[in-house]
Amino acid sequence: MKNLIAFLRRFRIFLLFVALQFVALTTYFSYLSFPRSQYLTTSNNVAGTMMTARNSFTKFLHQDETNRVLLNENKKLRDKLPENYIRKGSTEIVVNDSVYEQQYTYTPATVIQSTFDKRNNYLTINIGRAQGIKKGMGVFSDGGIVGQIFHVSEHFSLVKSVLSSDANVVVMIVEDGSFGFLKWETQNARLVNLTGISNDKPITKWGHVITRGGQMFPRGLEVGRVFTAKPIEGRAQWNIEILLGANFKKIQKVYVIKNLLKKEQENLESMIPKDPIVE
Amino acid sequence: MNSILTHSIRFVLFVLVQAFILNQLEFAWGILIMAYPLFIFLLPREMNVIFSMIVAFAMGFAIDALSNTFGLHASSLVLFAYLKPAVLKRFASDEDYENKKEANLYTMGTTWFIYTFGILLFVHHLWFFLFEIANFGEIVYVLQKTTLSLIVSFLFSVGLQIIFVPKPKDR
Repeated sequence: MKNLIAFLRRFRIFLLFVALQFVALTTYFSYLSFPRSQYLTTSNNVAGTMMTARNSFTKFLHQDETNRVLLNENKKLRDKLPENYIRKGSTEIVVNDSVYEQQYTYTPATVIQSTFDKRNNYLTINIGRAQGIKKGMGVFSDGGIVGQIFHVSEHFSLVKSVLSSDANVVVMIVEDGSFGFLKWETQNARLVNLTGISNDKPITKWGHVITRGGQMFPRGLEVGRVFTAKPIEGRAQWNIEILLGANFKKIQKVYVIKNLLKKEQENLESMIPKDPIVE
Repeated sequence: MNSILTHSIRFVLFVLVQAFILNQLEFAWGILIMAYPLFIFLLPREMNVIFSMIVAFAMGFAIDALSNTFGLHASSLVLFAYLKPAVLKRFASDEDYENKKEANLYTMGTTWFIYTFGILLFVHHLWFFLFEIANFGEIVYVLQKTTLSLIVSFLFSVGLQIIFVPKPKDR
């Protein structure tokens, strides 16, 4: 006992060092995969309020750009309004809204904090649980997909952007229909990798890349364009780099996508017998 | 008493500047300016290592909570505080080390400052980027980020001292 106390006294500095390192590093690595509380993320109330205050200053710097983007988007949406179309063939019977059922809804949000040059990048947005945001929803900006909701607090949420080592969004190339996973392995905020596409088909540069649809995103949201495609040595796969549509260096407005039929799909998919399926 | 107040104000300022300004500046090539180790470096030298490690831990977690790094800054700053006494002892001559004033650029001289603060800051940066990237396949990228950020952080820290630390007249 006496020896133990003597030992502890002698190495107390080193022991404290080890203890503090242990706490810090376990917190870091456990938060990377799953955040257990919101206190260490910018979705907590204090940090959220401070970030909102900061954003209220800096947003004016981007006002022109944001306005232009929103105008473009309004124009696109207005073009789709039913008032702009003339009905053909008046003998058709119109049945009110039983052909289409809405599967996805969009909630607009403002980005109050974001990074793009870390190994894993996050954005904080100004809506949270009170607005019906849940973990795992998709996030989209006018240029292309942004990421998924990683953690939610009452009035803020944290978005894990596709500029992360494990973004794992399923996307497809429009021109030939092949699909694969998004992975961020470059060090460039505009380029992401697309893995899992076999190299028996040629890939054309500037081919369109869209989401495949399913859990988070509806089918057909823009992701970006094919930038380069090189064969991976020793494997029958392409290493494709995609130029992202979303510009993370000046992202201001995003939309959170809610999948209304998610529960139904999950219930159905839980009936698949367990075996090692990727995804 | 006065010194406690000075250091408390410095603590808050360093956290705010790091979290709201420096962590938001994103230059090319992965450069990240980290100036807050200077706070730990400027703590009085008669201060107990145990206490300075706890302060480092608190400061690191405050910055982490404001920039989504979940403990990375805390870990590297604790390492900085832990190594500080040993490095200072190695490079200070005996009479200097007895002199228990605040050790800054002016009281200790430029060469001494470059060696001690440079070494400590290098270890801090290397540790930070190693754990941020956590992949030995990308060791070149880790070294690139460490070197470039180290140079900018060091110059920034020197600049902060030139601007804010009063130059003693008697030296």
